Amino acid sequence: MTEDIDAAVDEVINALDEEASKEEVEENLKKFIEYGVPVDQAKQAVLKKFGASPAAPSATEKKLGDVTPGDKRLRFTGKIVTVEQREVEVKGETRSIYKGIIGDETAVLPFTAWKDFGLAKDDVIAVDNAYAGEWGGQPRLNISEWTNVQKTDEDIDLVKRQPQRYDVADLRPGLSNVSVQGKIMSMEEREVTVDDEEKTLYSGILGDRTGKIRYTVWADMGLSEGDVVDVSGAYVKSWQGTPQLVFDENATVEQLDESMPVDQVGSRTMPMYKVVETGGGVDVPVEGVVIEIQRGSGLIMRCPECNRALRDGVCVIDGEVDGTPDLRIKAVVDDGTGAVTAIMNRSVTEKLMDTTMEAFQEMAEEKGGEAVEQAIMDRLIAHPVHVRGNALSDEYGVTVIVDTVEPIEPNIQQQGAELLAELEGDT
Amino acid sequence: MREPAWRVFAGEYNDAMHHIEGEEQMSPSYVVTPLGAMVNRLYLVGVLTDVENVAQDGEMWRAHISDPTGIYAVYAGEYQPEAASFLSEADTPSYVAVAGKARAYEPEDGVLFVSVRPEMVREVDEAMRDYWIIEAARQTRQRIEAMAEALGMNPPSEYKLRELGYPPALARGVVAATEAYDDIDVEHYRFLLREALSHFSSGRIDYEEDMDDAEEAVFAAVQEMEGDDGALWDDIVDHAAKQGLDRHLVEEALTSLMDKGAVYEPILGKLKTT
Repeated sequence: MTEDIDAAVDEVINALDEEASKEEVEENLKKFIEYGVPVDQAKQAVLKKFGASPAAPSATEKKLGDVTPGDKRLRFTGKIVTVEQREVEVKGETRSIYKGIIGDETAVLPFTAWKDFGLAKDDVIAVDNAYAGEWGGQPRLNISEWTNVQKTDEDIDLVKRQPQRYDVADLRPGLSNVSVQGKIMSMEEREVTVDDEEKTLYSGILGDRTGKIRYTVWADMGLSEGDVVDVSGAYVKSWQGTPQLVFDENATVEQLDESMPVDQVGSRTMPMYKVVETGGGVDVPVEGVVIEIQRGSGLIMRCPECNRALRDGVCVIDGEVDGTPDLRIKAVVDDGTGAVTAIMNRSVTEKLMDTTMEAFQEMAEEKGGEAVEQAIMDRLIAHPVHVRGNALSDEYGVTVIVDTVEPIEPNIQQQGAELLAELEGDT
Repeated sequence: MREPAWRVFAGEYNDAMHHIEGEEQMSPSYVVTPLGAMVNRLYLVGVLTDVENVAQDGEMWRAHISDPTGIYAVYAGEYQPEAASFLSEADTPSYVAVAGKARAYEPEDGVLFVSVRPEMVREVDEAMRDYWIIEAARQTRQRIEAMAEALGMNPPSEYKLRELGYPPALARGVVAATEAYDDIDVEHYRFLLREALSHFSSGRIDYEEDMDDAEEAVFAAVQEMEGDDGALWDDIVDHAAKQGLDRHLVEEALTSLMDKGAVYEPILGKLKTT
């Protein structure tokens, strides 16, 4: 929400002829928004109030390599490396924005288009009146409704800058020109049709010591399962709620003469904030304390048609049905830096609770369904757990589909004494 | 995005003088502590020491939960029915875990009262409490280090803190705290942290056997002397000293018994068994 206001403030300042203070613009904007004026109208109103004619034409032409955060009224020409549509919530309304990467001969930068300009990969566009915010220390271009975007027939040789080295765990959607070393854990081959053209798509899981990521390759690079490779010039996009590493013809892949035992891949526990920041991942290990057991945990009924959980015997899609029983836990696991919802299916739950679903059904018959929920809470709430599974994100946060869950039994006295000893070393 | 549940000792949380009020319905509010914890939600485990209905009419349960550095105020009313019903029936003292939202009340400029509105309250055991102390200590230490770094920067930079490997929310909170507070006494929190961990000091382990005996003797003394109103602290120490126990050890034993919830202080200076 504040991000939207910041973006709106930047847009207004950008569109104004006179220098206006950020605080002043922000205060005015917020006042309108407080009164329930939609953001777009509020922007217009504030512009008017500051006496601006909205379309200020005198943009400065820049190469992307010269753009710094805070630049306004930018004019540049760039090539779309990747673009994807995202739904965001603005003032309770769902709105589409377009995020991607754009580049020229000097740099490649992330961008956000706040309206649909019909952008597609490999388009070369002339952009007038954009502005630059900051994202992770580098400029992020904002293309707003006051920006003029024209497609051109030019072609651009994208910059061959030094790729930046990342651990797999740090790969997040929006990064481009990344270099990463890892082991090809799995690979599948698939025929797809892109623009009436048959293409072979290779996809699978790549991992290093820090984590695993799904990858896709748009060319036969001679990879096979078990290879340890160095990939340079790849980019990361968001695919079905998790980051995906993509390498195309701009990337290079080098076989490394190194071994990486499978059990060492992705074995490092990830802090929650990192899982939340990267927006999910493959086979992610996390640790935290269970601070909530969500409703819909315990014995549930599922729709025999669509497998959705029933509410009071009713399926939202198929209406009143004869449900099939199931057992699951939805637990919020939090490590103080972030939180995920861990979903445990029947077999994971049975193992964790050391109780079969049938035994739970008997318990529910004798003491009611709440008894099952209570038993789950007694076992989990306030307890630290180590959880592993695929993580995916949506607008509400990150969900981990749990493969394994293990209660942590820490040696508290020892850890406490060690921590105290470390503290003595601090000063 | 779900807000993380910060682990913040009461001693740091209650020092907070700065809060950020959510401007709109959907934007979150934060209590910002002097070490830069930007708390919307928190998770704590401590000893429930007392519960009282403070509403004029209706129900508003105020609970005090003590950790090694201070006391949290937790309020649960009709909109937290599960927490309210738990607290209204809870035994004191007992170990409880609370996940909840940070609340701030500013009766006048320069005065801020912070409390917790519970989303979840649950009785736990001593091991869970000790585990929480370790977690809270680790995260407090990270804030102390981040703050020390930030105070050495001119101006403190969120980006540089992130480059040093601090989580984004912490980098943001630390910079916000440097802007909101004039004098941030990092040393004070190093001291507080050591206090909190003294519970685990190795010295204590050496002395554990003596301690067990002392606790037993002191507990028996309290039981003998408490009557209806409780036994006077000084009387207990005198009584145990006559049995040949070191005064210092007796005081330690009393503190430990209180920490464990075996003995409590219904009024200041008087002790009762539970």
